[in-house]
Amino acid sequence: MRRATIVVALACLLAGTVLSFAQQAQLQKQAQVPAHPNELQYKPLEYTPPQAAKHRQVMANGVVGYFVEDHELPLVNIAVTIRVGSYLDPAGKQGLASAVGSQMRAGGTAGYKAEEYDEEADFLAAAISSSIGSTSGGASVNFLTKDTDKALELFFEMLRRPAFQQNRLDLYKSQVIQQLERRNDRTDAIEAREWGRLIYGDEHFTNRLPTRDSVSSITREDMAAFHAQHYHPGNFIFAVSGDFKTAELKAKLERAMADWPKPPGAAAAVPKPTQTPVPGVYMVHKADVNQARVSLGHRGILRGNPDEFAVDMMNDILGGSGFTSRIMNRVRSDEGLAYSAGSGFSAGIYYEGQFRAAFQSKSSTAAQATQIVLDEIERIRNEKVSQEELDTVRTSAVETLSQLFSSASAVAGTFAADEFTGREAGYWDKYRDRIRAVTLDDVQRVARKYLHPENLVILAVGNVDDIQKGDPDKPEYSFQKISKGKVTRIPLPDPATMAYPKP
Amino acid sequence: MKRLFLTALLTAGLALPLCAQQVEVQEYVLDNGLTLLMVPRKGDPNVAAGWVAKVGSVNERPGITGLSHVFEHMMFKGTHAIGTRNIAEDLRLMEQIDAVAAELRKEQLAQIDRLRLGEISDLKDPKNRTARHTELLARMAELNRRQKELIVKNEFDRIYTSAGASGMNAGTAEDFTIYFINVPANKLELWFWMESDRLLNPVFREFYAEKDVVHEERRLRVESTPTGKFQEEFNALFWTASPYKWPVIGWPSDLDGLSREEAAAYFEMNYAPNNLAACLVGDFDVNEAKVLAERYFGRLKRHPQQVPPVRTREIPQEAEKRMLAWAETTPEVEIRYHTVADGHADDAALTVLGSLMSGRTGRLYKSVVLDQQLANNAGAGQRSMKWQGFFSMSGTAKPGHTPEEVEQALYKELEKLQQEKVGERELQKVKNQFAAGNFRRLQSNFALMLQLLLAENNRGWQSFNEDPKKIEAVTAEDIQRIAIQYFKPENRAVAIYYTKKSETTEEDPLFEGLNDQQKAQLRQFRAMLPQMSVEQARQVLQQIETQGAAAPPEMRPLMERMKKLLEEKIKNDGGAL
Repeated sequence: MRRATIVVALACLLAGTVLSFAQQAQLQKQAQVPAHPNELQYKPLEYTPPQAAKHRQVMANGVVGYFVEDHELPLVNIAVTIRVGSYLDPAGKQGLASAVGSQMRAGGTAGYKAEEYDEEADFLAAAISSSIGSTSGGASVNFLTKDTDKALELFFEMLRRPAFQQNRLDLYKSQVIQQLERRNDRTDAIEAREWGRLIYGDEHFTNRLPTRDSVSSITREDMAAFHAQHYHPGNFIFAVSGDFKTAELKAKLERAMADWPKPPGAAAAVPKPTQTPVPGVYMVHKADVNQARVSLGHRGILRGNPDEFAVDMMNDILGGSGFTSRIMNRVRSDEGLAYSAGSGFSAGIYYEGQFRAAFQSKSSTAAQATQIVLDEIERIRNEKVSQEELDTVRTSAVETLSQLFSSASAVAGTFAADEFTGREAGYWDKYRDRIRAVTLDDVQRVARKYLHPENLVILAVGNVDDIQKGDPDKPEYSFQKISKGKVTRIPLPDPATMAYPKP
Repeated sequence: MKRLFLTALLTAGLALPLCAQQVEVQEYVLDNGLTLLMVPRKGDPNVAAGWVAKVGSVNERPGITGLSHVFEHMMFKGTHAIGTRNIAEDLRLMEQIDAVAAELRKEQLAQIDRLRLGEISDLKDPKNRTARHTELLARMAELNRRQKELIVKNEFDRIYTSAGASGMNAGTAEDFTIYFINVPANKLELWFWMESDRLLNPVFREFYAEKDVVHEERRLRVESTPTGKFQEEFNALFWTASPYKWPVIGWPSDLDGLSREEAAAYFEMNYAPNNLAACLVGDFDVNEAKVLAERYFGRLKRHPQQVPPVRTREIPQEAEKRMLAWAETTPEVEIRYHTVADGHADDAALTVLGSLMSGRTGRLYKSVVLDQQLANNAGAGQRSMKWQGFFSMSGTAKPGHTPEEVEQALYKELEKLQQEKVGERELQKVKNQFAAGNFRRLQSNFALMLQLLLAENNRGWQSFNEDPKKIEAVTAEDIQRIAIQYFKPENRAVAIYYTKKSETTEEDPLFEGLNDQQKAQLRQFRAMLPQMSVEQARQVLQQIETQGAAAPPEMRPLMERMKKLLEEKIKNDGGAL
């Protein structure tokens, strides 16, 4: 055996240990290797999730922050979640929220021109970001401990006093318009867009997409007004982690937010979808691709549904747990019809989530793979899953809980997100018992209750001619059969205006 | 939270920023040559565990391109103990499958001959098969069916998942193949059991069927994306001699031809313990890990030979290469220069140069995007692989500008670097970012495990600790010297992407109500438009308008569409109507 090579500084100290260890290892080498991993014995692993209350702080202005200290590396991370979103975009100004999120970071501040701001941040090597998504906004800064004061100053300049400099806005609009004009190029983008329309309807805010005109019309004044309305401490939750003393950093944050008034009025609630999905088979034609992207599904459930955990386990068995799930096993491993295949069943925070199974398969075999997924949906409704399948997904969910809290920033981030979305207190303390309580009967019951084969929306994007021809070696599979003869074609919209040609 | 032993030289200020934090890696080399790297770190009750086979597509040759990657897939198919109900019967069936595959290959070769002579045009068309070919396929399907009855599907994955392990995956690149997972702290022995078993007793089940999955992966990543095929082609153009020229996923014809025997030979050499390194980062005991390594990985037999170094080196490029592509994408340019391999004396300076060019305060953004307003995005960077490397610059033309204008502007930035030394503050800014990055890269156990394995793959894990010092040592003179040395026109390849109009679909309202002949005429007309000047377009428009009244009524819809296209062109190209 070779001696272990240890980093030079420690080599002398450790050499003795290594040698005696080497002899010991030689002896142990003879020890029995079990024939199967089932025979391995493990020490018990006790794990208690961290407690939110231990890290929760209410600041002088009433703002909540989760502070998790970790002094291993000289880094601090501050992440703010903001109650804002593109659901607040006024009609005709789609894209405004995204523009505000981006330009808060890119457009300079009252105290710094954009160019100066960028130079300061880059010289400190501080990573500062800002963005607005559909139902929340985010802003964060990551910096070296020694730069705390300067980094905080830059961060709050951005949060509080963004200037939305005109030349940066012009560039941003040019970039966004150039990109949106290309939104019919990629089949994955087409699939995501049309799937959203089919499930939540054109009227829903998630499907009111920016157009060339709506983006062109955005002005600095629009952005400043939007920012003033939504960016104030009453809409913030902080997640702070890393190398700091909580009392000190908390005081600094309080100072930075002092005299920051709350504007009148409250943010509107996130709108629920008003349209009902129409089941059926839909296709979008894209001539020069040789692979079809297929999605099947319908609306899902709301968070807090008492069956949430059973639905989660059911979906893991059906298609949610990678190679251990049925859809992956059948579509990929058995038949070699796809590289990735699976399903998700989401519990929505503000409105119903969705059930969606998806895969990508060459045009000729898309129908066969679709039929397999349909069969699996039927099977999990009609037959109980095996004890082994349920045990696998339950153990996995229970044992991977610790990964949600694997670092200081993960702990702070998880608790801040929970508070932002109004998750019940003590959720993670009860999580593992709730998962363990799911039974074989529960899985079949929720499959029957929440999977609706008769209500499925099926969307295929690809070369429709080839998809419909199918596989000459397997004429028994076809979309003709699956759709009972009725396929609705969705044309590609004008990418700049999002106007769809009339059927 | 996590505890990691760090020796940090914490000095604030401009002259000496944070640098030189060392990660204490404990290295343990088994008799058979397998190297185990260990970084114990308390806090999170998990262990990030992985290993790397020092083999990738660069070690392949024409005919077996893509084998490293196919192999990565095969490593999840199980072993003698995992993945089957009856190993004896399983192995018997696989022998029969191999025999049929060999017979099938003869049929395919005969077909390829016919394709070469132009007698057939599609290898996959059932009509082009002989009766024997069809019969062999049926026999193969039957054997596969019988084997499936014996297979315990994805048992390898299921054992890990039901033990609470997660994130199992693998990746193949030009220089390495890497396998990784996260295991709960008390399941370290399971990792040793599983990984050593698949190295000791692998069974390459479903070898031929898995190729279908790889073809789907290729369609997903390369063939059905707007630029995937072009990027593959550009890479093949850039390299003349080097095996970096073929794609990691392989050429489709090679994928079709690969046999299980070739895979077995490949495994024997490249997956021998003397070509492997493993790494653990997280909550474990080092002595226990060494005992387990001896017990489990100690069973592997050293290969008498080391994997030979890659023999074919790139030849010096003597003339600029250009690729012009029409794709459904924004107008873009990519420029690549041959530079140096990972760890070369100039690697650090080229890496720093890439950072000087990139980001919000990088030269490309400030000059080409903000000041000159020629591009909407631009970036640059050095890519150092094990045997060779290149420097790449790219940009997206702003509407109203061409990729060629962006290309020229990018050259100007290189010329500035050749003519003038970079300023002290600008250089320090970039070094500060690397220094902060040296801490950030230690935050995640998983990311640290991957980085140590990749460092070990090329030059030894020590380079992970040494490289930051090399970055810190780069001077303004170095930057100027390498800019002059590497950025010569004859040393580059250029890819220009023009925007191709989307393929028309019958839903396109433009074609509504036209007969097939008119549709074809309109398509042809539209294809000619890009070559037309605005002035010519105006003239044609005028002709149509004057002749329109005299045209027969069935021709009017066609003429209307032509008018519409011309008007659009004139408007888009900046002319007034």
